[in-house]
Order: sequence, then structure tokens, then C-alpha cells
Amino acid sequence: MKSDKIIEEILFEIEKHEGGMSRRNAMKFLAASPIAASVLAGAAPATEAEASTSNATGKIVIVGGGLAGVATAAKLTHRLANPNITLIEPNPKSVSYQPGQTLIAAGVWQKSDIEYETANFIPKGVKWIKDSVVSFDPQNNTVTTSDDTKISYDYLVVATGLMLNFGAIKGLKGEITSSGTNDLVRIKVGKEGVYSVYFADGAVDTKKGIEELIAKAKAHTGSEKLQAIFTDPDTAIKCGGAPKKIMYITHDLLKKAGVRDKIELTFCPSGDKMFGVPEYNAAILEQFKARDFKWEFKTNLVAIDTEKKIATFEKKWLEKGEYDEDLKEYTMVSMSKMVEKNYDFIHITPPQKAPDVVGKSPIGSSKGWVPVVKETLQHVTYKNVFALGDVAAVPMGKTGGSARKQYTVVAENLIAIMEKQEKLPAAYDGYTVCPLITSIGTVALLEFNWTAKPAPSFPLDPTQERWIWWLLKVYALKPMTIYGMLSGRA
Amino acid sequence: MKKIDVTLCFAIVLVLLSGCGDKPKSDAVKYKYSTEQVYKETCLHCHGPKGEGVAEKKAPALTKQSVQELEMSLFDIKNGGLGQSTASEHDVMEHNMKKLAEKGYDYDIKMMANYIHTTFGTK
Repeated sequence: MKSDKIIEEILFEIEKHEGGMSRRNAMKFLAASPIAASVLAGAAPATEAEASTSNATGKIVIVGGGLAGVATAAKLTHRLANPNITLIEPNPKSVSYQPGQTLIAAGVWQKSDIEYETANFIPKGVKWIKDSVVSFDPQNNTVTTSDDTKISYDYLVVATGLMLNFGAIKGLKGEITSSGTNDLVRIKVGKEGVYSVYFADGAVDTKKGIEELIAKAKAHTGSEKLQAIFTDPDTAIKCGGAPKKIMYITHDLLKKAGVRDKIELTFCPSGDKMFGVPEYNAAILEQFKARDFKWEFKTNLVAIDTEKKIATFEKKWLEKGEYDEDLKEYTMVSMSKMVEKNYDFIHITPPQKAPDVVGKSPIGSSKGWVPVVKETLQHVTYKNVFALGDVAAVPMGKTGGSARKQYTVVAENLIAIMEKQEKLPAAYDGYTVCPLITSIGTVALLEFNWTAKPAPSFPLDPTQERWIWWLLKVYALKPMTIYGMLSGRA
Repeated sequence: MKKIDVTLCFAIVLVLLSGCGDKPKSDAVKYKYSTEQVYKETCLHCHGPKGEGVAEKKAPALTKQSVQELEMSLFDIKNGGLGQSTASEHDVMEHNMKKLAEKGYDYDIKMMANYIHTTFGTK
């Protein structure tokens, strides 16, 4: 598929259609168009309890004002006759649109296209405390903020998001979120061949990094190829597709610049497959082969020497052990060794963790993530506490797409608790979506749930790369999220 | 392609999207053995008759995990990882579980977590 041509054509049509509007204005228009708005308004999932307003009362504190926290606040505001909601969030741009970071690296968007002011999305009537929580005391139903204020609650929603733990890689420093302070990380990341799209400033740097790689390749005369490495850590991560998306984008930009044959692209994930859904795994492997990508499974980045440009990986494998009479099979023995690789360009997907203030608190767990019943999203120990989004211990989640399904579940179940109902009415099924950018102009819309089977919303083969999903990714998902989800309507 | 009405195209996409996520759940899986049978005939060999663990088999105790931790561990083992593409944190057990499933010793994750927790759990 001549993806460039199609995109150019579509953008041309948009410009024509909207009477000479710029591309960026066309996008904004779509966000505000009455068609989009009416469809979004109708898109809220209809549950039986939905129609009525609840008279239940109680003080709700939501910790974290990202997509998950603000959407939950909005939904509760709609559903409660007398809402009493406090939201605690220190970052004034906490609702910024993280899925756009790959598009910034691709040069399709700019940082300003994904930045949103939290103040514009806090629902009316919700009290916003611009501070961060430093401790949780679920026995006494209080949280404490950094200025030492104790805030009590009847019901607590934890939606703090997660931390990008660059410091867990030897040679790097810092533990950051996708927007906000990142000085420590940027000492080494965002320059001299080391990049990461996992934070907004890093995505801007990555675009420059790819341009530098192209320049280097153009000047490169030796017979040995330059090495570009893409990592994927051994922790749960937000957006499981992004480590691969940035590889596809880099490939596409290198190809357009005519230097693809001078660079070897290698994917080094700690995992042992491309995707947890077998159908999608097979499709991605085919896409990798078609693009002449290399890959090495169970290869986890543990250290980096940015002076010498050497990355160290821990490589793991299983070896056949003794015969086990009980299992009636040969046992397997876990093996590992360290492997060094030279790089000219490395894209780092950082290890990720729950913020220590949550993970090491009584509402956390040995792994940090907040332990919830994965269907109801209610805390396993404290029944007046719910968690959603990246910080919740929910398998296969950690995308905006999962949070978009979770916030309604949390709101409905929380109201049931407030109404002293015995049974929680709403259940999350693990749905999530990965719009996998496979080139600038094509996306495979990978939707799935805990059955680890494809769960396509459309009667189209989900393993195929299509420009229509590129349009969805570039033009429709952001307005859906920013104006649909953040207002608690879709 | 030339005559694409872009607004209409987005409207269609959005209408279609509005219907997403309300899929009927997949049919319940039928298992050959009961959860208790699976435990007693397979798990017990390494994790012990009381879930206490067997050191020479390198099999940990299951008694001290909460039901939620057990569920997550079993999901990790059966699904081959908790993330969208991460490896299992229990790579040896993932291999063993595949072999057991081939022999019919498969189970529902939630039921097994509940069985282990209610029968042996101390937490």
C-alpha cells in the first residue's frame, strides 16, 4: 500500500472539505464537530443503573488526576445527585494525551498537540487540591499531602498512574512520569543515540534522534551496518505496543530517507513473544519479517554505558534438566548470561513501577500495584477503596483504552457500595486496545481482553494494517479521549 | 478514494466505536477434572499436600499468598505473562503448566486460586 499517497490524499480532502482549514485546525474541528459530539454523547455504555441519579452521599477522594481519575470524577458527578468529590493532583498538565507521544517522534504531531490543561477538565463542583499524596492510612480513612494536611474520606479512588523507572537501568538515573520534571533522566536520555518516547520531552528528542541517525547513515561508508536497538523491559508497561511502534516509525523514516539498508534494526524484549494474543503475535512476526527486522527474545536491558555506546542485556533461556517422575516430563532449568551490544541508536522502554508512596503503603502490595478484584476493581482488603488505570494490579491493562472501560466500572461499583448494595453491578472484562502503528499511514487495531483472543469492534480482520485505523489514531481517538472520556461520557 | 467524504468516514468510525466493548462473554470452558482433582493429582507433587511447598522440587509454598496474588500468579503462568507481551515470571512453571494442560489437567484460574486459598491459605 502506498501509504504516503493515501495520507496525502486524505489530508488534501480534509483541507478541501473544511474550506481551506489547516490540517491542525481540521483536527480541532473534528473534535468539536456536532457529528462527533452527538456520537460521543451516545457512546456511553448503557447499564440498567445508568438512567437514574443516585442519592447516595459520602466524601469521595480521588488520588491522581490523569485520564482515569478525571474521567471517574466526571462520571460520579453525573451519577450522584449530591456529589462530594475531592481530586488530588499536583501536575497542571496531568490530562495530557500520552498516546500521541509516538506521533511526536514520527513528526506527525508536536508536543503542543498533546498538552492539555487539567484545570479545563476538572468537572464543576469537584474540589481540586494541587498537591501530591505522601501517605495512605486506609485504617483511618485518611491520606496526607506533601504540605502535611490530613484529608479524610469515606470512599477512596486510587488513580495515580505509574512511574517510569529509568534509574533501574545501571548507568541511567531518575524515576519520572510522562509529563513534568525529568532533569535526572535527561542527563543521559534524549541525546547521543539514547532515546525514549515514554515521556513527552523524550518523544520530542526521539524525533531529533532519528534525524541524527539518518544523517549519520548518510555519511556512513563502511560495509558494517549501523545498529539500532529497541528494548522492552521485564516489568508491566503502559502501552505494550509502543516499544514496537517506535521501531516501525524509525524504519519508515529511514526508508523514506533512503538509508534503511545501512542500518540494522533489532528488537530486544525481555518477553518471549511479540504479543500475548497468538493471532496478533503471528501478524507482528510477519510484519517484522517483511521489514527485515531482527529480534532476540528474553533479552532484557540492565545497563548502559553511554560513553562507549554499549548496552548490556541479561539473556535468559530454559535448558532441559532431569526427568521428573511426578510430572512425567523433563524438568526445565532457568539459565541466564550477560550480553553486550554496541549501538548507534537505542530506544529505551523503561522499567515501570507503582509510585512507592502507593506501592509500599498499606493499599499497595509486594509487587507495588494496588491489589484489586480484577473484575470489580475494588481493593481486596479495603472495601471502600477502588483503583484503576496504570496503578491497578490488573493483567494486560495499562492503556488509555483499558482506563476508558474501567472508569465506568469503578463509578457504578462505588455508587453500589455507597448505597450499601450487597452485590457490585459492574465488571471489567480486561478489554484493551493497541492501535499498533506499523508505518506512517497504517495502523493495526489490536483489540483484546483476558481471554487473550482478538476482540475486534469492527467486522474487519484485526491483524491487517489499514489506513482507516491510522485516521482513527491520528484524528478520532484524541477527541474521543479528551472530550468523550474526560467528560465521563464515553 | 478520490471522493472520500472524510467527515462521514469519521462519523461511521465513531458510530461503530460506540458499539464496542459490549461483546457477549465467550462460552464457559469445560474442564476434564475438578479443581480439587487437578490439585491432588498434579500440583500436590511439588507444592505439597498442604500447599506448604517442597524444597527439593524448588516449588514455593502457596499458603502465604492472598487470593488475589494467587490469581495473578496463575494468570501469569497460564497466560505466559501478565503484560501484553511480557514473559512469565514463572518460566519453569509456565512450561510445566503447558505439559499438564496437554494431559487434560487444566483449570479455571479463579476457581483454583479460591481452592488453594480456602483449603491451605493462612493469610
